[in-house]
Amino acid sequence: MSGVALEIEGVTKVFGSRKSKPVVALEGIDLQVAEGEFVAIVGASGSGKSTLLRIVSGLMEPTSGSATVHGKRVTRPGTDRAMVFQRDCLLPWKSIIDNVAYGLTLARVPAEKARSTAQRYIDVAGLGGFEHHYPHQLSGGMRQRANVARAMAVDPKLLMLDEPFAALDSQTREIMQAELLRIWGATRKTVVMITHQIDEAVFLADRIVVFSARPGKVKRSIPVPFPRPRALSIKRSAEFGAIVDEVWQLIEEEVRASLNH
Amino acid sequence: MMRALLAYLERHGAVPTLVRSAISFVVVIALWQLIATQFVTSSMLLAPPSEVLKALVNEIQGGMLWKNTIATSISLAVAFPISVVLGVFIGLALCSNRLVSMMFGPMLTALSSIPIIALAPLFVAWLGLGYASKFVLIGMVAVFPVIVTTESALRSADADLIEASRAFNASGWQVFRTVTFPYAVSFIIGGVRVAWARALVGVVVAEFFGSFAGYGYAIMAAGQTFDTATLLAYVFILGVLGLVGSLLLEYAEKRLAPWRYV
Repeated sequence: MSGVALEIEGVTKVFGSRKSKPVVALEGIDLQVAEGEFVAIVGASGSGKSTLLRIVSGLMEPTSGSATVHGKRVTRPGTDRAMVFQRDCLLPWKSIIDNVAYGLTLARVPAEKARSTAQRYIDVAGLGGFEHHYPHQLSGGMRQRANVARAMAVDPKLLMLDEPFAALDSQTREIMQAELLRIWGATRKTVVMITHQIDEAVFLADRIVVFSARPGKVKRSIPVPFPRPRALSIKRSAEFGAIVDEVWQLIEEEVRASLNH
Repeated sequence: MMRALLAYLERHGAVPTLVRSAISFVVVIALWQLIATQFVTSSMLLAPPSEVLKALVNEIQGGMLWKNTIATSISLAVAFPISVVLGVFIGLALCSNRLVSMMFGPMLTALSSIPIIALAPLFVAWLGLGYASKFVLIGMVAVFPVIVTTESALRSADADLIEASRAFNASGWQVFRTVTFPYAVSFIIGGVRVAWARALVGVVVAEFFGSFAGYGYAIMAAGQTFDTATLLAYVFILGVLGLVGSLLLEYAEKRLAPWRYV
């Protein structure tokens, strides 16, 4: 746990065209994520969380400010970062193993090596035996695990998750949270995750960053003290409840403020 | 017994489907035979299936069917693949460049909405009675459905999939090769199905106006001598050709995009 994995400095993003009033999605975001740290970003909808991840992934340029990943300023997408979207976004015409190997194939890793790497992450994700199935033959939870495996397979230094479990039912989501922790524990990547589920954030993260409503700013950073590995049972502890309450109050203020706006 | 039979016919699978098709075929043929022999008694107006079969056998024995099949097949075998390939390329060109699309898009829409079949006499006048006029007419009618479906399929590719691909650092060409094009392929085949049906119309009409062989020529000749049975025999063959092509392409569509049919 040494260096800084991600450094976001004064990132502002303004959306607008000549026709409509400009919308400030993000305003002066400063955020540091240490190597190996798991950070969860929570905040009311429209607080620009997804926009921030798109900027860090290089899919979008900030209006001002910069994102730096391991000392390298982000200007475009790169294999040092990987993104897991809310929708599983697997290619329906590729088998699971080819989907998991997709990022490697794009990076022109030799087919043999790409397959063996993909196989390793398929096993880690508990999808052994489904290599040659197609996405439509799998359940939503399995598809999302394949999606995470695909992101992990390129061996990114920084893994970004944009509400990865939002489309799943609540039981599957609980299991997936534990699965993600297990997969993460085996690799110890730096993770930045966006979620709407406060208990998900508290359960998974080392630190929770609460965003204010539009324009998005960092409102508070709350460390989560639970030791690892964590079991699902900590969700029922009093300490867990206290952190959830604290985060929820911060978000509630924001949601109310934006409703009265 | 009866109920078991009905339950069997409602089942999915190749054999029940075949049995269902066979039953409907037999019913239609029987009705046709009944109407043609009991109600419409002039065989110049409507020949019964038995007569049509006889005419078909006659055409086979006389070698006419073979000659006409060769002529029509050559026209289709040359012009249809070319129009499919050309259609895909034009569709790609329209998608790849905004300016090209804006310049030629409206023109193509206008061209595709005129009934090109109506130009058949003109093509024959320009290109003569040989194959050239057939190739051009088939090409002209078959190319537009392929262009239109190619363009719209490429444009409608899933934006989330494209973004996910770009997040993996895919280049523009890689996005096209791994996302946009594979997504479009099954839709393009849908367009090829439409094109096949239109190509059959195209070849028959072209042969009406100027040729000495082919199904269209045979239909025209039979019509002029009031040989309704022979005319219907060739129409029947065209129907089979259309059906087989359509079924094969439908099969290809399902094989290429199984996720669209769950």
